[in-house]
Amino acid sequence: MNAAALLLALSLAYAGMLGLCLDMERHWKQLASPRLPPAARRACAPAGVLLLALAGWVAGTLWPPAMAAVAWFGMLSLTGLVLVLLLPYRPRLALLLPLLGTLLAGLGALA
Amino acid sequence: MKPRTFTQSMSWLHTWAGLLLGWALYAIFLTGSLAVFDKELGWWMQPEIERPAGDAAAAAAAQRWLQARHADAGSWNIELPGERAPLLGVTAGDPRRDGSTLIDPASGEPLEPRKTVGGNFFFRFHFTLHLPRNLGIWVVGLAGMAMLVALVSGIVIHKKIFKEFFTFRPAKGQRSWLDAHNASGVLLLPFHLMIAYTGLVIFFVIYMPAALDAFYGGDRDALLRDGAPPMQASEPARGPGQSAAPAPLLPLADFVRRGEAHYGPGMLAGLRVNHPGRADARVIVQPRLGSRIELTKGEALVFDGVSGQLLQTPVPTRTSLLSQRVLAGLHFAQFGGYPMRWLYFFCGLGGCAMIASGLVLYTVKLRKQAKAPRRWLELVERLNVASVAGLGLACVALLWANRLLPVELDRRGGWETVAFFGAWLLCFLHAAVRAPMPAWREQLAGAALLCLGLPLLDLATGGALDGQRLGVDLGALAIGLLLGWAAWRIPAAAAQPRPRPRCAGAIP
Amino acid sequence: MTRLSLPSRPWLEISLRTALAILGGYALTYAFTAALARVLPLPRVDAVIVATLLSFVFYLGFILWSFAGVPLRRLALVIAVATPTLALLGFWPNLLERLG
Repeated sequence: MNAAALLLALSLAYAGMLGLCLDMERHWKQLASPRLPPAARRACAPAGVLLLALAGWVAGTLWPPAMAAVAWFGMLSLTGLVLVLLLPYRPRLALLLPLLGTLLAGLGALA
Repeated sequence: MKPRTFTQSMSWLHTWAGLLLGWALYAIFLTGSLAVFDKELGWWMQPEIERPAGDAAAAAAAQRWLQARHADAGSWNIELPGERAPLLGVTAGDPRRDGSTLIDPASGEPLEPRKTVGGNFFFRFHFTLHLPRNLGIWVVGLAGMAMLVALVSGIVIHKKIFKEFFTFRPAKGQRSWLDAHNASGVLLLPFHLMIAYTGLVIFFVIYMPAALDAFYGGDRDALLRDGAPPMQASEPARGPGQSAAPAPLLPLADFVRRGEAHYGPGMLAGLRVNHPGRADARVIVQPRLGSRIELTKGEALVFDGVSGQLLQTPVPTRTSLLSQRVLAGLHFAQFGGYPMRWLYFFCGLGGCAMIASGLVLYTVKLRKQAKAPRRWLELVERLNVASVAGLGLACVALLWANRLLPVELDRRGGWETVAFFGAWLLCFLHAAVRAPMPAWREQLAGAALLCLGLPLLDLATGGALDGQRLGVDLGALAIGLLLGWAAWRIPAAAAQPRPRPRCAGAIP
Repeated sequence: MTRLSLPSRPWLEISLRTALAILGGYALTYAFTAALARVLPLPRVDAVIVATLLSFVFYLGFILWSFAGVPLRRLALVIAVATPTLALLGFWPNLLERLG
C-alpha cells in the first residue's frame, strides 16, 4: 500500500470538504480574507466537488473499485470531522492542512 | 401528555431508543473498534512469540513436524502465519476439537506462549456482550435495530442538517454537546447506517427466520446447501474402514506457491490435508479473508496431494448469497489492508463519540429542567460515567492483566476476563459513590494513566518490539493523551463536591 | 429535539405502543418476510435471502410509523389484520402439508 498516495487521497478529501465548507457564508466569513471578492466564494463548492472526485480517483489507484468506494466514504466522513474540530480551535491550520498534506505526500513520493 | 407533532414524536423516539440502548451500543462500538485490530492485540498479548519466516518455509516446517508425529492421522490442519498474526499453528485432526499446536518454523519445535483471551475477547464481546451466545446475539441485534431507529428519527428531527454541517461551537454547554452529537452523527452517517444494517445482516436468518421457516422448515444448512455452487469433481465413494494404498505426499511448500499464484503472496490462511500419506490425499488451500469485500468463508482450492493435480477451484457465489456476503464483509472489514482497518477504526471511534455525546446531552438537557426527577437524572449520570469512561478503563485493564498475571497461572484467560469485569465493576461502584463530575474526571484520568503506562509495561514485560506491538503501544499512547486531555478539560470547579449537581456546567 | 419526555408520562399508552411496535412489529415483519419470499419471482434460495435482507428495512419502517403519531387503536388493528393475512400467504403450503 502506497503511503504517499494514501496521504494524497486524504488531503484531497479534506480539501474537498473544506471547499464545501467555504461555500457556506458563515464559514467563509470565519476563514477567508475579507479582501477576496464574493465570486471566489461561489467557486468553492464546484472546486470542492472536483477535489472530492479527485480523492476518489486516487483511492481508485490504491484499491479495487468497490473497496475504493468504501474507503472514499470513510475518508470524506473522517476528514470532515477533522475539519469540524479544527475550525473553532485552529482556523488557520484548517486552511493550511491540505497544502501540508499534499506537500508531505509529494516528498514521500520522491523519497 | 403525548407528544403531538410528528417532530415531537420522532424526538421522543430518538431520545428513548438512543438512551435505553445507548449504553449497550457504546459498549458494542468501543469493543467493535478494538476488534478491528483483534489479531494485533492478540499478538501483543503473547509476547513470547516472534515473527517467523515466509509461508512456504512455514508449510515445510509444519509438514516435517506433522510427518514425524502424526503420519497416520486422518487429516492435518496448518494455520499459516500472516501479516497481522505471524503464528504457525498445526493440528492433527479437527482444530476445534483437538486444539492447535504452535510451532516455531525455524527450529520446528513447539512453542508454548502464555494462555490469554487475546484480542478475540473484544471480538466476542462486540457481538455477545459476554452474555450466553444466543442471548447476546439477540440483545446486540436489538441494539442494532434501535440504532437504525435512532439514526432515522435523528435525521428527521435535525432541522439544520445542511446549514450546520460543519458547525461546532465549543465551551457553550448544551449547544456544544448538541453540535458534537450532530457533527459526529451527520458526517459519519453513511458509516453508521452501513455498520448497523450490515451488523444485522451477518445473522440475518437467525434474527428473521420467517422465510427460512416457510421454505426450509427452519434448516439453515439446507439453505446453504441449496445456495452452494455445484461441486466440480465428485470424490470416489469409499466405505468406512477402507483406506487407499500408501503414497507419498508432495511437499506442501509447492501447494503454498501454487495457492499464492492464485490468491496473491501472503493471502493464504492455511492448508488442510485429508488422508496424508495415502493415494487419495487431498490438499485444500484456504485463502485469507480480504482479497475481496465478500466474506469468503469456506472457499478453497483443492489439489490431489499425490499427483499435484488441481481438482477444484472456487466458483462465483450466486447473486443473492453474494449480496449477503458482501454486506457481511463490509461489516467484518477484513479487506483493503491496514489503511482500510484504520479508516474503520476511526469511524468506529466516531460512532463512540456520537453515542457518548448523545448520552451526555440527555443529562445536560435534563439538568436544566426545573421539574426533572432528580433520582432519574442521577442514575443516568452515574450509568453514563461507568459505561463510557469505565468501559474504556476496563479494556486497558485487560491488557495490563495480560502482562501482570503470572504466566503459568491456571485458567489464565479466565482471570484476565475477571480483571476486565472487576475493573468495570469498580468503575460502577466508583460512579455510584462519587458526584458525576469528579467521577468523570477520575475515571477518564485513570484510563489515561493506564493507556500512557502501557508502552512502559510492554518494555518492562514484553518480548521483541515489532510493527504490531509497536502499533499497539503507540495507539495506546495517543489514546492516553486524548483521554488525559478530556479529563483535564473537565472544569476543576465542577470537581469539588457539591450537594447537588444542579448548577454544574457541561463538560466543555 | 424540542422536549424530553420523562418516565412520569402515562404508563399504559407508552408501554402498549412500545410493545405493539417491537413485538407486534416483529410478528408482522415475520409474516411479511415469509409472504414476500413466497411472491418474489426467484428460485427459492434467492427468494429466502432477498426477503430476509429486506425484512430489517420493513421492521425499521414499521417501528418508525408506530411512533409517528398513529392512534393506538389503528396500530393494533393493522397488526391484528395484516399479520394473519400475510402469514397465510407466506405459509399456506406449509399449512396444507400439515393439514393433509
